[in-house]
Amino acid sequence: MTLRRRLLDWILAGLLIVIPALVLRASLSARSPSRVDQAVLRVTAPLQAAVTWGANLVGGWWGKYVALINVEAENRELRAENEKLREKLAALSRRAVDIDALEALAALKQKSSADSLGARVIAAPMSPEFRVLRIRIDRGKSDVSVGMPVITAGGPVGRIIKVFGNYADVELVSDNAARTEVVIARTGGRGIMTGLGKTDSYACSIEWLERATNPEAAIKVGDEVVTSGLGATFPPGLLIGTVSKITGDDGMFQSVEVMPSVDVSRVRSVLVLLAPPPPPDPDAKNKKRSDAMFGARAL
Amino acid sequence: MRTATIVFAAYLLAIVLTAVWHRLPIGMIAQSAPDIGALTAAYLGLTARRGLAPAMGGAVVTGYLLDLVSGTPAGYLALTLALTCVIAYGTQRRILVRGTAMTIAFSGFVATVAGVLGWAVRVSQGMPRSAVSLELQYVVVGTLTTMLLGPPIWRGFRRIDAAFARTQRERDAALEGLAP
Repeated sequence: MTLRRRLLDWILAGLLIVIPALVLRASLSARSPSRVDQAVLRVTAPLQAAVTWGANLVGGWWGKYVALINVEAENRELRAENEKLREKLAALSRRAVDIDALEALAALKQKSSADSLGARVIAAPMSPEFRVLRIRIDRGKSDVSVGMPVITAGGPVGRIIKVFGNYADVELVSDNAARTEVVIARTGGRGIMTGLGKTDSYACSIEWLERATNPEAAIKVGDEVVTSGLGATFPPGLLIGTVSKITGDDGMFQSVEVMPSVDVSRVRSVLVLLAPPPPPDPDAKNKKRSDAMFGARAL
Repeated sequence: MRTATIVFAAYLLAIVLTAVWHRLPIGMIAQSAPDIGALTAAYLGLTARRGLAPAMGGAVVTGYLLDLVSGTPAGYLALTLALTCVIAYGTQRRILVRGTAMTIAFSGFVATVAGVLGWAVRVSQGMPRSAVSLELQYVVVGTLTTMLLGPPIWRGFRRIDAAFARTQRERDAALEGLAP
């Protein structure tokens, strides 16, 4: 290469640095592409669009089919994780229910003046129709005794019928052997609620409820039934259930069916009232009533 | 004609890679596509047969087309690639880029040089810049991807060179990476 050609080459090379620099400066100050840019873009844009379309087509096919190979494994992992989280959620929900029940129980214990003891339900034998027939609590001979009433914040559950070791069995108010003195809250009508002992429901019944002459005082479906406090099993005024059906009405007496307020299948913890029913007094006949009533000796 | 073919091939490749690169399942590397412009400019500079000007012309046109493709201000990549071409031309008589390892190393070198030159051009022209750490990250990732794709791209350029060879000897030399 001659000196002249070499010189020319370097001058051209220098120009090829200066020109882009000037173009860059001009394009930085201009807001829209120059005419040359627009013309080149008009020529190259279709090519670019075609290549991009093809790449998108192949990329889409790849993303939809080939890349799904990993999705299967990822899906399996997510399912397993989902399963674990569901189990955790179920456990936490159960715990939350237990905590709610315990809180309600604590509030009840605080409110009640009776001496009481909390207990956990550890077993609940069920009927073939999935109704709880009886519950077992984790309090035994050292804590409780037969006859003690068992309640929850929702109302009476039943009474202890058997104590063995560290456990006790509770006969439910819906058991056909259970008898509970009750009052219809609205009318004041008294009766004895007995469990129907059904295996498919917790229904109880009250027989021989005196029918009031005033039609307003007649018992209706939805009337609340509360404990009377007589019979010395439960304290008075505890909501025990609601009248669900009028089963008989002969003009003088009414018979009703009652649905207990406590859903025994959901009970996890209970309160045992430690004041047992008073034992029968063998000397009752020999005692003077005034002694018992006023604590003073008769003249 | 040979330079025009190389420029057109580089332009096509850049369009394809621009459309495809971010879709590839290659993690962080997908952030920065290989610097096809730098590879082309370096190849043109390294294989300049009849002086520097034609090679630089090819580099400037490549840069200008890539400016239009990537949406950078016209002249930015043209200037950067022109300077990259000059640097590659400067190494022409000192090193022989032959064999895969040397090609990878030289690809990394030109990608780094182009990255630094691009940054210098942006600084000198008062163009917007990212944080230094981010700029460095792009230079490093861009260098890595350019090193990965350098050998096949250079092989393609050598095939183009071989296609334009006038004699069998020139053809073999081009394929072997012995040109010019």
